[in-house]
Amino acid sequence: MDVGDIYLIIALVLLFISFLKDKGKTREVLKVVYKTTLTVFPVLFMIFILMGVVSTLVSKETIAHWLGSGSGIIGILIGELVGAFALVQPAAVFPFSGMLLNKGASYATIYAFVSTAILIGISTLPAEIKFFGKRFTIVRNLVTFFVVFIFSLFFQFLF
Amino acid sequence: MKKIYKEALTYILIGLVILLLVFLFSPSKGLEVGKVAYNAFVQSFKIIIAVFFFIGLLQVWLSSETLSKIMGKEAGWFKYVIASIVPIFIGGSLFSIFPLLSTLLEKGASIGAVLAFITAWSGKAPLIPLEIHFLGLKFTILRTILIIPMALIIGITGELILEAWEKRAIKVGEVVEEILEDESKVEEEIEKEITEELTDKGERKNEK
Repeated sequence: MDVGDIYLIIALVLLFISFLKDKGKTREVLKVVYKTTLTVFPVLFMIFILMGVVSTLVSKETIAHWLGSGSGIIGILIGELVGAFALVQPAAVFPFSGMLLNKGASYATIYAFVSTAILIGISTLPAEIKFFGKRFTIVRNLVTFFVVFIFSLFFQFLF
Repeated sequence: MKKIYKEALTYILIGLVILLLVFLFSPSKGLEVGKVAYNAFVQSFKIIIAVFFFIGLLQVWLSSETLSKIMGKEAGWFKYVIASIVPIFIGGSLFSIFPLLSTLLEKGASIGAVLAFITAWSGKAPLIPLEIHFLGLKFTILRTILIIPMALIIGITGELILEAWEKRAIKVGEVVEEILEDESKVEEEIEKEITEELTDKGERKNEK
């Protein structure tokens, strides 16, 4: 039995408890699971192929040079910018980052990439402006970019 | 066809096209790409399925509406702490939490708490099994713990900056109003002069 089995058992036990407590809500849970599967799975399919492409066509030296621990501040900035412009769901961010990590990227750049990929989204900008206004959107995205940068430096120090 | 199916098909097609291109470019490289993708998929398949269930369970049993109610009850600085921790456990996309937060803002929640909420939401607790599998336990624990101070810092500095910006905007507004007032005064004076001249001319005509 591997870790995956343990997670699956936990999920099924929780689902069973949910079913005992409230059938209607459990039906809703299954609906969300179905919808999530439909939206996330195809993205993961594409990301896994992209991971294969990057890991076979881009050399370890190249990734280590641009994103490795020697890349320092530049590497963190690249990680942050790519994360901010990447149109990926959080669930797809982790596998891709893991591949980069295996190819020699540093923990700090991966931390920067993951953080901005989830928090700063070019694709969510219009919605954010609509709901909170231009000023809020500008301040939130810029402050987040800056704070993530500082935290990435700290992260490198911690690792 | 429903939008959700269309998008799903699009992503799968993009993936296949990329794979095909690599194959045409070099069959051996294409095979290698397929192998890497297949291995990554097989190794994480069960975790991915489990994570989908965690997302569903958390979204329904700990809906963001429930959490925002908890948040609304707290007052003072404690609100920021709650806003920096609780959203870590929420799933969903930014699109789904924006409408909720904007109604909270209208109801009187502070901007700082909303900023902290969005930041803390990036904790992504239901995805933690996936994060551990691909990035390791140490990375996952550190990132998740660091979310809390990060949310607090972004919340507080963001609010300060926005407040300062608003004050400046008000000042600029006052200056603009003053200028406009001055302009209207000048206009009035010009109008007066013109009417005076006109009446002067009229008087002269009358004299002639």
